[in-house]
Amino acid sequence: MDCEIYLVGLNHRTAGVDVRERFALASHCDAEHWALPCRGALSEAMILSTCNRVEMLAVGSEDVSAQMLDCWAKARGACSDDLRPYVYIHKDLEAVRHLFSVASSLDSMVLGEPQILGQLKNAYRKAAENHTTGVILNRLLHKAFSVAKRVRTETAVASSAVSISYAAVELAKRIFGEMHSHRAMLIGAGEMAELAATHLLQAGIKELLVANRTLARGQELAAQFKGRAIPFDALAEHLPMVDIVITSTGSIEPIIRARDIRTVLRARKNSPMFFIDIAVPRDIDPDVNALDNVYLYDIDDLREVVEENLASRRDEAAKAAHIVKEEVEAFAHWWSGLNVQPTIVDLIQRGENLARAELERTLKRLGPLDDHGREALEAMVLALVRKLNHAPIMFLKGDALAHEQGASRISLIRRIFDLEPHTCSRNRGES
Amino acid sequence: MIAPESSTLLTLALYALATFCGVLGTALRSPLWRKAGCWLALAGFAAQTLLLASGFHKSLPGGLSLGAYLQMLAWFVMLCGLTIWLRMRQEAAALFSAPLALMLFAMSAPYLSALIRVPESLKAPFYALHIGALFLSLGLLALAFAAGALFIYLEGRIKSKQRMEGFWQDMPALSILDKINAFTVLTGFPLYTVGLASGLIWAKPVYGAVISGDPKEVITIIVWLLFAWLFYNRLTSNWKGRRPARLAVFIFVLSLFSIIVVNTFMDTHHAFIRS
Repeated sequence: MDCEIYLVGLNHRTAGVDVRERFALASHCDAEHWALPCRGALSEAMILSTCNRVEMLAVGSEDVSAQMLDCWAKARGACSDDLRPYVYIHKDLEAVRHLFSVASSLDSMVLGEPQILGQLKNAYRKAAENHTTGVILNRLLHKAFSVAKRVRTETAVASSAVSISYAAVELAKRIFGEMHSHRAMLIGAGEMAELAATHLLQAGIKELLVANRTLARGQELAAQFKGRAIPFDALAEHLPMVDIVITSTGSIEPIIRARDIRTVLRARKNSPMFFIDIAVPRDIDPDVNALDNVYLYDIDDLREVVEENLASRRDEAAKAAHIVKEEVEAFAHWWSGLNVQPTIVDLIQRGENLARAELERTLKRLGPLDDHGREALEAMVLALVRKLNHAPIMFLKGDALAHEQGASRISLIRRIFDLEPHTCSRNRGES
Repeated sequence: MIAPESSTLLTLALYALATFCGVLGTALRSPLWRKAGCWLALAGFAAQTLLLASGFHKSLPGGLSLGAYLQMLAWFVMLCGLTIWLRMRQEAAALFSAPLALMLFAMSAPYLSALIRVPESLKAPFYALHIGALFLSLGLLALAFAAGALFIYLEGRIKSKQRMEGFWQDMPALSILDKINAFTVLTGFPLYTVGLASGLIWAKPVYGAVISGDPKEVITIIVWLLFAWLFYNRLTSNWKGRRPARLAVFIFVLSLFSIIVVNTFMDTHHAFIRS
């Protein structure tokens, strides 16, 4: 019987967060917890469990998807009927294609996000430590990692920011390059502004000043970002010290006007400034953008950047899908070759066994022979077997066989030559 | 010893390859290709240095040709670009200088036979100070031009909220381009001044007056005045960003006009003549 690859899973598209929570499996979950009951059929297995997906990948000698589903549901104290409506089941090359897409972040909620590859590597490492992977999953997962790398290198699917806060930081990098010598100021508070401040700190900003109408809140924020709180009234005197300003106040009138910035620029000797205005109504007079060395982006500008980036990622996803298709074909070629191998070994073994048995019988009839004569006779019968086996082996190998084609050829040769059925359990533990 | 023709072809090929790798590395966002571009530019510079050291230009009869002049300018552009790359860790400088050097090198081919007359008595000091200082400052000015032109374009895109995609994604930050502009102006102007002053001093014994109204002298003094204005504003940090970028672009274009148009088509002491 052939080895088959099964992928059973649910993700953010097929299940809501409550269902994903209910059926989450820790990625380090030992296959023993859920695969033991189906051990007879399963030879390799691994689990990927993240906040957006739970997927079980397995190699088995028969259809193990129903068993996998049962074990999964049981592990979470439910029955498989509760789980079934949310689950997709992919088999063989479809499972391979899905895995490659997941690794390349083409199946992620945020297209091109980089975390999934790390999570997949972690899940694989845990499975390998638990010795639940073998020849096929080892090859498949390494291939998935290389496909993900190829997609990142050859397409721009992960190249641009797709969150407003991150887009703001990317823009700051386009103006200032390295962040370590620059200061930023956060005026007001708000989720998006705080997120932008977090990204700026991660990018290595030198110092963050926080100005809030309520000084206590400002101090709280400053402590959170390891920054320095300043009184809101002292805003004007601190502006010349900072290069990046993020505003998010509830003011209904602009708090920063072009005429104020002209003075600030003089004090800064015209060093560039980047203003990120996330407030609605806007905190910064739009005329500020017309000044030399001043760059102003408001929430709509940033949203537009993000939307264009997302559209660009979607365009790139088509190129990435083509890469995945190519790599699935390459894997299929390797896999069909792998399935053929045991049959070739059995075929050669059977021929040699028959030849040696016949040789012994003939030698008995011929009577005593010197070593030279015996060796010559043995070489002749083994050469004959090799030549007879050549045509069926070539037939088995074929040219770039599809997996299904390979399976039917294996079955045919096994029937013709009366070979014992083989299972893929031999793969277990090999690497 | 490599023949001058082979060395010229090798230099040209290396500059072309460096340009190709730089463009490819920027378009594909591949640091590997960009790095290859920088090293190929360095190899091209080494090949051209070999060409100069082998005395190829000394073999030219009667003086310096426009072609050789442009080739030497290419060498100085590369020298400045590679210095900025290696000293300031700005690979953009090496990647800008390669296409500029390629362009100057390619432009030089038809003019290798057009000669500039140099009085015999002044040949050695003339080359050493006047030509050397001016060439070095023009090399720096060429980089100021490249950084300035790119600054104006990228800043325009950022100001008008246009996306940076594809080729433009991995361009240097505006502050880096501004730093290149500042460095090249602050080092280029003193050199230009030395080159100009040495020319004026030697003009007296050769042409009978320090300033004789020669078109080349007039345009060079205009370039010097503009350059001085740019230098002053850079030195006092009054100017940053778009304004010095624009002026650097204009000064370099004026300098190119001076080299190619004034020297070739106008009646001047510096005229290139076809032999």
